[in-house]
Amino acid sequence: MPDTRAIPDTPLFDREGSIRGYRINKMAMALGQPANRDAFRAGEEAYLDRFGLSAEEKRAVMARDWHDMVRLGGNLFFILKISAVDPTPITQIGAAQAGMTHDDFLSERLGKQRNG
Amino acid sequence: MAKIIGGVGTSHVPSIGVALDRGLRDSADWKPFFDGYEAGKQWMAEARPDIAVVIFNDHGNTFFLDKVPTFAVGVAESYQPIDEGWGKRAIPPFAGAVDFSWHFVDKLVEGHFDPMVCREIEVDHGLQVPMELFFGRPENWPVKIVPIWVNTIQYPIPTPQRCWDMGTVLRQAIESWPGDERVVILGTGGLSHQLQGSRAGFINQAADRAWLDGIAANPEPYRAMSREDYVEQFGSEGAELIMWLVMRAAMNRDVSLIHKHYHAPASMTGAGMIVVENAA
Ligand SMILES: [Fe+2]
Repeated sequence: MPDTRAIPDTPLFDREGSIRGYRINKMAMALGQPANRDAFRAGEEAYLDRFGLSAEEKRAVMARDWHDMVRLGGNLFFILKISAVDPTPITQIGAAQAGMTHDDFLSERLGKQRNG
Repeated sequence: MAKIIGGVGTSHVPSIGVALDRGLRDSADWKPFFDGYEAGKQWMAEARPDIAVVIFNDHGNTFFLDKVPTFAVGVAESYQPIDEGWGKRAIPPFAGAVDFSWHFVDKLVEGHFDPMVCREIEVDHGLQVPMELFFGRPENWPVKIVPIWVNTIQYPIPTPQRCWDMGTVLRQAIESWPGDERVVILGTGGLSHQLQGSRAGFINQAADRAWLDGIAANPEPYRAMSREDYVEQFGSEGAELIMWLVMRAAMNRDVSLIHKHYHAPASMTGAGMIVVENAA
């Protein structure tokens, strides 16, 4: 489709991302099943290897580098299943996308009162 | 013929369901959001629908990227809530309006739509949350459902015009259905939000408020907008507002705005609802 790249700071999940992120998203999708969540908890690297993730992809997941996971083609809706296992709040993932601290993100983007 | 008793546009933010699960309805963060839905819930109880047509998108829960239907319609007897990674939620399954669903599929294909037809499938928060917001937490849902999935995850997503066209077919299907069921249509998603990219956390309250009034009074500009316009105004994930157009196109040109509510942010999203009825 035309023209989507013109919107600033807004990656759309198109063919390129879908192809690039297929393995990482497939791995995350599988966390919808309890047995896979148990396997992930028991040994992250072994679980990631089952889905053929590259070293770079594995590092991003194991470091919970939410920004890099998306750069590598991870789509938020799939990788949120990783955050459900942790659990990591979605606003913290949002902050990582925006390149801000969690507190700054809550107050500047979402208009929340700062705590202390 | 069956009767359209009203149209609803509403957010389906997943954390709404989580808030209910954790008993946070009356917490400081959530109370104003839920309070604003009470009037809509009341309206729904009095409207006594038999069938709820729910237009929503899956969020990488039911459909993976191996098969991405642009439009899918459920014809199942029953729909279980799906495990989104947090475990299965304690809400009842949804009974399907099977016969009407098949009739709708017939009308769609006659009308040159090519939906995926789903006989066995689970539903995620996109359907669950609107049902909870308007019907509460009953032991059994008081309506049968017709789920319509719209792909808003992987581009190309359908155009606003195409969603509108589907709504006109939905209306024909309801009006040509020999039963006397009372049908409510729920267009879901939005309002403005963005989860990815450095603009993450983007909320556009002005555009959201204009949408809630405009979609009722004068939807034409929204039908004519491009997908890029939606992304720009409402954020990359807020573009799912195109699904409200299916509901709006099934209603009369002139509708009465019965209820309206807006709250921001709910989690990372501008959130709210409208209830409209066909003008006399
Ligand atoms: Fe959604």
